[in-house]
Amino acid sequence: MSVWKILKTFFILEKSNKKNIFACIVVATFVFGLIFFVKTEDLGNSLKEKSGEYQSISVALNKFQNVDASDKGNGSDLYKNIVLQQQYISKQKMAVRMGLSEVYVETAIDVVDLRLKAFDMEGYDKVANNLPSKTEIQLESAFFQYIKKAGMPLSVDSLSFFPFLAYLFGMLGSIWFVFMSIYSCGIMIEDFRHTSLIKGYPITFDKYVIAKCISSMLLVGVFILELIVCSLPLIYFKELGNPLYPIAIFNGTFDVYPIYKYIGVAILYMISISIFTILLSIILNVLLKNMYLTLFMELLLFIFPLLFPSMMNFIPFNPFNYLNFSSVLNGQTLDLANPIALNSTYGLMYIWISIVVMIVAVKSFLTTGKLQKV
Amino acid sequence: MRAYFKIEFLQFMSNKKNIAIYVILLFFSCYYALKTAPEYDPIEKVDEYEIEARYLTREEFLNNVVINNWTHPLTVFAATIYPQWNEYDKKRLDAIRQHNMKEYAESTSKWYSYADEMTLKNGYLYYNPRYYTYENTYATWDGHYAYLYSASRYEGYTEGESDLSINVFEERTALQTLQRLLHSYLPLILIVSCMFFTVDVVLKDRRNTTLLQGLPLSDWRKLLVKGGVSLLGSLLAIIPLSVGLFIIGARNGLGDFELPVPIYLASEKLFSNITIGQYVMQNLLFIVFWFLFFISLILLVSIVIKNEFANLLVGSVFVIAEFMYYARGIGAIRDVHWYPTSYIQTGQIIAGYRNFLYSTDALTFGTGLFVIGLCVCVFLFIMFLISRRRKFRLF
Repeated sequence: MSVWKILKTFFILEKSNKKNIFACIVVATFVFGLIFFVKTEDLGNSLKEKSGEYQSISVALNKFQNVDASDKGNGSDLYKNIVLQQQYISKQKMAVRMGLSEVYVETAIDVVDLRLKAFDMEGYDKVANNLPSKTEIQLESAFFQYIKKAGMPLSVDSLSFFPFLAYLFGMLGSIWFVFMSIYSCGIMIEDFRHTSLIKGYPITFDKYVIAKCISSMLLVGVFILELIVCSLPLIYFKELGNPLYPIAIFNGTFDVYPIYKYIGVAILYMISISIFTILLSIILNVLLKNMYLTLFMELLLFIFPLLFPSMMNFIPFNPFNYLNFSSVLNGQTLDLANPIALNSTYGLMYIWISIVVMIVAVKSFLTTGKLQKV
Repeated sequence: MRAYFKIEFLQFMSNKKNIAIYVILLFFSCYYALKTAPEYDPIEKVDEYEIEARYLTREEFLNNVVINNWTHPLTVFAATIYPQWNEYDKKRLDAIRQHNMKEYAESTSKWYSYADEMTLKNGYLYYNPRYYTYENTYATWDGHYAYLYSASRYEGYTEGESDLSINVFEERTALQTLQRLLHSYLPLILIVSCMFFTVDVVLKDRRNTTLLQGLPLSDWRKLLVKGGVSLLGSLLAIIPLSVGLFIIGARNGLGDFELPVPIYLASEKLFSNITIGQYVMQNLLFIVFWFLFFISLILLVSIVIKNEFANLLVGSVFVIAEFMYYARGIGAIRDVHWYPTSYIQTGQIIAGYRNFLYSTDALTFGTGLFVIGLCVCVFLFIMFLISRRRKFRLF
C-alpha cells in the first residue's frame, strides 16, 4: 500500500516535470523528422535502390579487364557472374518500370543465387566492398523466397502506416538505449539534493526505488504510445499497409517475421531495455553521485562492444551486446571479422537476467543509510 | 567589468546544459573517429585493380585495332586518344607497384587532367560511375569538378615537400579529415553548438533579478560581456572535438599543414592550391564571424522577445534558411551573395564549391566576411539603441 502512496506523490511530481514534456517533444520531433526523412530520401523506391546497385556493380566491373563474358568466353568466373548480375539488375529495373511484380521477384531470386555463388569464387575480396555482404544477401533471399511462396504482391510504399512503424522501431532499436540513458541518467540525483526528505519517507529504500521505476516505466509507456499515435496521420495521408507483410530477420536462422510480430518484438525489447537502463542508472547514480558520470559510463558500456567487436565472441552473454536490437535482428554481427551469431531471444533472456541481478543488488546493497547529500 | 566576466564565465561553465553539450560533442567526435572515419569510401581512390583493368583493356584494343577507310569514326577516335591515356595509366601502375609515391602523384595529376579533357569534350565517355547517381542530372559536372580537383590536388603533392602515402592520397589523415569535415557539416555543428550555448545567457538572470540589478554596470556592457563569454565558450567547443582528431591522427597519421587544398576559382574555372594550414585558419576566422553573428542575433532576440524558445527558433531559421532558396545554379539569376545565410557552409565557400553549385563567382571569403560583419554591426547597433532606452530592462 505504501508503494501506491509514494507512486501518487511521484505522479504529481512527474506531471509538472519539464524534462518529461521536453522528452515528449523530442520523441514527436523524431517521428515527424523520420517521416520527412523517408519522404525526402525517397526510401523504398525500388527504382532508386536498383540504380544504386547497378552503379556499385559498374564500379566492381571497372576492376576487371573487359573481355568476353559469355559462357565460352575467357573471362574469370567471377567476372561472368558479375556481368550476369548487372544484366539481372537491369531486368529488375525494367520490371519496376513496367509494374511486373512477378518478374521482379523471380529475377531477385536469380540475383541472390548468383551472389551467393560469387562468394566462393576466386578474387572475391577485390569486389567485396562493392557488393552486399553475405548476411544481407541471405536476408534478401529469405524475404523473396517467402514473397514467392506466399504469392504476395510487393509493397513499395514505405510511408504507409505499418511499414513505416516497422522502419521507425527498427531505427529506434539502435538509439533507444542512448535515449533512455539520457532520459534516466539523473533519475535519483534530484532526490539526493534532499536526502533528509528521502530518509524521512515511511518506506524502505528498495520499495522507493521500485516506485521510482514504475513511474518512469509508465512514462516509457507514454513514449511508445506517442510513437504510434504520431504515425497515425499516415493512415489518412497514405494508407494502412499490410501488417502481414514480411520483414527478413536473423534469429539463429534466416527467417521472416510479419510486420506485426516485428513490432511486437521491438516493443518487448524496448520495454526490457528501458527497465534495464533505469535500474542501471539508479545503481550508477548511487555509486557515482553524478548525472554526467552516469551518462558517460552508460554510453561507454554501450559503445564498448561496438568498438571492440571481438569482445562479443569472448563474452556473448554481455547484455550490452544486445541493446542495439535492430542490428541483432539484422544479423549485422555475422559480418564482423570474428563473426558471431547473436540470437535475439537469448538476448532478451540475458537482459532479463541482468535486470533480476540488478534488482537483487538494489535490494541487498543499497539502503538509505548510504545516501549523502550531493 | 573583468570581475563580471569572471562570474559570467564561471556560471557558463557550470551550466548543466553547456556541460551536456561539451560531453555530447566529445562523444560524437570519438564515435566519428573510431567508427565513421574508417568507413570513409572516397570515389577517387588509389585502386591498383581498376588502373590495371583499364590499362589492359585499352592496350588490347590498341594492339588489335585496324584503322582504314572503313573504320567507324568512334573507333578511330578511341585509337587516337587511348595511347596517351594508357601511357599515364602505365606510369601510375608502375609507380604504385614500386611504392614510388612522388611518381604516382605526378602521373595521376596528368591522368586526371587528360581524362577530364577527353570526357567533358565529347559525350561518349563517362566519369567514374559513382557520380551518376539516381536522378542526378548534374553528374557530368560533378565528375568534371572532382577530376579537376583531383588533378590539382595531385599536382600539389608533386610540388610539395610533404611525406606522401596512400592515406594522404585518399585524404584519410587527421588534418585532411578535418578539411573534409570543414567542407561538410562541421561548421554547422559548431554554429548550432554556439546557438545552444548562447540561448540562455541573458535569460538565466531572470531567476535572480534583484541580485543582479544592483551591479554597477550598464545593460549594454553586461550584454557585451555575455556575448564575450558565449564566444569564448563556443570556441572552447573545439577542445572536445579535437580529441577525435588526435584519435584519427594516431591511426592514419596526422598529415601535414603544408598539404594542398584545391580551391576552385569560379571566374577562371580553374583550381589552384592553398595549404591546409591556410584553409583551416581561414575557416576559423570565418566561423568566428559566424559565432559573432549568432551571438549578437540571439542577444538581440533575447532582449526583444525575452523567451528562450524564441531564441532557438530564430537561430534555427538562420541556420536552415539556405535550404529554402538553394537550388543548383540559382546564383546566375539571383544575387545570393547578399544573403548572409549563403555563407553558412564556410569550408565550401573557401574551397569555391558553393560558387560551383550556385553557378556564380560572387561568393568569396572577402564578401562573406563583409556581409556577416555588416549584419553583426547592425544587430549590435539595434541592441545598443534598445538598451539605451529609459524604460528598458534587461530581463
